[in-house]
Amino acid sequence: MSTDAVAAIPGDTLRERIVDDLRSAIGDALLDSLVKPGDDVWVRVRTDSWRATGLALRSLGFDYFCFLSAIDWMPSPFGKGEDDPTAPAPERDDTIKQGYAGGETRMQLLARLVHPTLHVGVNVKCDVPDSEPVVESWIPVFAGANWHERETHEMFGIGFAGHPDLRNMYLPSDFEGHPLRKDFPLLARIVKPWPGIVDVEPLPGGSDDEEGDAE
Amino acid sequence: MGLVDRGRLPKPLNSLLNLGRSYSLWVYQWGLACCAIEMGAAFGSPRYDVMRLGVIPLPASPRQADLVVISGTVTDKMAPAVKRLYEQMPEPKYVISMGSCANCGGPYWDSYSVTKGVDQIIPVDVYVPGCPPRPEALLEGVVLLQQRIRNEDMGARWRGEGSKPIIVGETTKSAKSGASKSGAVKGAARVD
Amino acid sequence: MTSTESLIDRRQLSYIAAQAADARLNVELETEGMTLNIGPQHPATHGTLRIIARLDGEQVVWAEPSCGYMHRGYEKLTEVRTYPQVTALVNRIDWLGSFANEVPFILAAEKLMEIEAPPRAQWIRTILFELSRIANVSLFLGDLGVQMGAITPVFMAFRDREYVLNLIEGATGGRFHPNFDRIGGLKDDLPAGFIDETRVVMKKLRNFCDEMENLLFGNEIFQSRTRGIGVIPKDVAMQYGLSGANLRASGVDWDLRRDQTLPMAWNKVDWKVWTHPDGDSFARCWVRLQEVRESTRIVDQLLDNIPSGPVMAKVPRIIKVPEGEAWVSTENPLGEMGYYVVSKGDLGPFRTKIRSASFNNISIVPWVLKGVYVPDIITILASLYFILGDIDR
Repeated sequence: MSTDAVAAIPGDTLRERIVDDLRSAIGDALLDSLVKPGDDVWVRVRTDSWRATGLALRSLGFDYFCFLSAIDWMPSPFGKGEDDPTAPAPERDDTIKQGYAGGETRMQLLARLVHPTLHVGVNVKCDVPDSEPVVESWIPVFAGANWHERETHEMFGIGFAGHPDLRNMYLPSDFEGHPLRKDFPLLARIVKPWPGIVDVEPLPGGSDDEEGDAE
Repeated sequence: MGLVDRGRLPKPLNSLLNLGRSYSLWVYQWGLACCAIEMGAAFGSPRYDVMRLGVIPLPASPRQADLVVISGTVTDKMAPAVKRLYEQMPEPKYVISMGSCANCGGPYWDSYSVTKGVDQIIPVDVYVPGCPPRPEALLEGVVLLQQRIRNEDMGARWRGEGSKPIIVGETTKSAKSGASKSGAVKGAARVD
Repeated sequence: MTSTESLIDRRQLSYIAAQAADARLNVELETEGMTLNIGPQHPATHGTLRIIARLDGEQVVWAEPSCGYMHRGYEKLTEVRTYPQVTALVNRIDWLGSFANEVPFILAAEKLMEIEAPPRAQWIRTILFELSRIANVSLFLGDLGVQMGAITPVFMAFRDREYVLNLIEGATGGRFHPNFDRIGGLKDDLPAGFIDETRVVMKKLRNFCDEMENLLFGNEIFQSRTRGIGVIPKDVAMQYGLSGANLRASGVDWDLRRDQTLPMAWNKVDWKVWTHPDGDSFARCWVRLQEVRESTRIVDQLLDNIPSGPVMAKVPRIIKVPEGEAWVSTENPLGEMGYYVVSKGDLGPFRTKIRSASFNNISIVPWVLKGVYVPDIITILASLYFILGDIDR
C-alpha cells in the first residue's frame, strides 16, 4: 500500500482490509475479529496457528514487535483486597467473561504488532487451553519475543514450546506461584485489608455529582 | 581499643573523636529507585551540596564507608545484596533509610516482591519519610545524625546498646499521639 | 556523509581485526572463560541491573542481563487499585520523566470513557510531557560522561535539571512524581508566571545542550568510544521492538507524536524528527541530544498559544470506567510506552499491561553485546539508556 493510497482511505477500511488479508493468509484459523473504526483492531486466532499468524502478519508488513503478554479473565476471588479477614468471605461472581474478539478459555495470549509505514497496529489474541497451557513460541518470527515469553511464563504459568531458555525473568528462581493469575493472593492485603475509599477530594471548579456513588 | 569497650574513654577524648567522626562521614550511596535521583541531587548537585556538611559522597566501596543511604524500593531479590553490603561496612556504621519504600514498603506495601521496609534486614538509624523526600529532607536527616554522633557514647555502642531511630520531621505532637510506635527521638526539636 | 561513512567503516574494520587478533591470542594463551558479574549495585549502571558476562580474554562471549531487582509487581498492583490510585503509582515506573508515564494511562481510560480533556488541558499536558522529557534526557546527557569517566557533565546536568524540576514543582507540586493528570483533564491550572519562567528556562536548557555538545560530543575520546560500537541494524531493531531514540538512530523514521492522532497538542506545532543512519552508540546519543533541543523549541511554541478555558471536563466524582479494552501508547522520553487497559466497568482496571520502553530496549543486549570488549559494555548500555523501573516495572 503506498502512503498516498493510505491517506485516501478512512481508518476503518484500512483495518477491515487487514482482517481480510489475514483471513486470506491463515484461512479459518482466524476465529473472531473486532474493528473499532478509527481506533484499533483485534483478531483472535486458533491456538495451533499462533506462530503461523505471526508469520502471516509479518509478511503483511507488520514488522514491529510491540509486546506479548496474557490476560487472565477469571474474576479475582479476593476482590479488591478490601475484605475483612475476620468475616466470612463474601459471595463473588466468578463467571469468566472474555473481552473483545471473544474467547473460550480462562487465559488468553495477547500480542501487538505494528506496521511501521502505515502506523497501524493489530492486537492478536489466542486462547490458551485450560488443561495444558502451552502455545508455540514466537521466537522464530520475532527475536524480541524471547523476553516477553519468559515474563508471561513466569507471571501466568503459560508454557512456550520451542523457547530455548524459559526461566524466570523477574522473580527469584525459588518463587512459588504465578503472580498475575487472579487466584494468586496479595498476602499483605489479606492480612490487613485496605479500608476502601475513606475520603474523596472535591473536584476543582464545582463538583457535579452525576452519579455520586459512594461505596 | 581497650578504652572503648571497657567504657573508660575519657570524656574530652570521646567528644573529640565523635566530632571528628561526625564531620567526616563517607556515604555509600545505595541508590535503588526514584529516591536515588533525589539523593543524587542532594549529594551531587551544586544546589543541595552535601559536602558542606562534611559528608563525602564518593567512597569507592562499602569497606571505606561509614554511612549508607538506602534510597528506593528494596525487593526480595535485592535484599540479600543489601545485607551483604551492609555487613561489609566496618563499624561504626550508620544507616539512613530514605523514602517511604525503604522505610516501610511505601506505595508497594502490598506487592509480592517488595520487602516491606529495609529495617527488616538491617538496623536503621534515621528514617527520612517522603516519596521522594526533598533533598533538604535528606540533608536534615544527615544533620540530625551528625548531632547524634556528636553526643554518642562509644562505650555503649560497642556494648551493643542500640539507640532509638530518628524520624525526620517528627514533632513532639506526633510523637505523643503515637505516630511512631517505636518511640523515636524528637526530630527537629532539641537534642540532648 | 562519505567521510563519516568511511570513518565508521574503517573503525569497524579495525575493530573486527582487533577482535580476530584477540581471538587468536586467546587460543594461544588458552584463556578460559571467566564470568564477570556487573552489578546489581554498580556506579555505572542506571540502577540495579545485573549483567552476567562470560568473557574470553577481554571479549564478551555472551552477556545476559539479569533483571528483577526492582520488580515491584505493578501489573498486579493495578488490579487492586482505583484509577486515581493507579495514576499515582504509575508515576514511578520511569522515575525521571514521571509525568510522561501518567499520560498514556489516563488517555486509555479516557478512551474507554469516550471523553476528551478540554483543549487547555491537552496543551498543558503536552507542555508538562515535554518538560519531563527534557528533565529525563538532560540527565542522560550528564550520565553519558560518567559512563566514560568524565564526571563534570553530571554536575552540570543536575544543575540545569533543577530549573526544569522547579517548573514542574511550581505547576504540579512535585519535583518528580507529579501525580497531576486526572481522567478528564488536570488537577489544577498553571500558576501565574509559569509561562515567562518557562521561556527563561528553555533558553538555559538550550545553552546546556550546546555545552554538552561542545564538552562531550566533540571530544576525541567520546568519539572513539562510541563510533562504530554497538551497531544495531534496522530490521533487528524492529524485531526486538526497540523504540524511541534507539530506533531513530538506526535510521527508522518513527515518532509516535507525529504518527498518531492523540488528544494532545503535538500536531499543533512545528517540529522535526531527528534520525541518524548509523545505528551505533554515537548515533543514539546524538539523536537524544537533538531531541532535547527540539523539545525546548516545542515548549516555546506551545507556550505562545495556550487556549483558555477549563482544565477539567465534566466527569462524575467517583469514576467507573465502562467495560472494554483500550491501548494507548506515547513517545515517552525512553521510547514507546503504552498501556493496554482492560476494564470491567469497575472503579479500577481489571488488567493493565504496561508496555515499557526499556524492557524491549534491553532485550537486545544479549544480541548486541556478543564479541564486544568489556569497557564497551558500559558505553553500549549507556547509549541504549534505560531506567530500571521501566525494565522491571
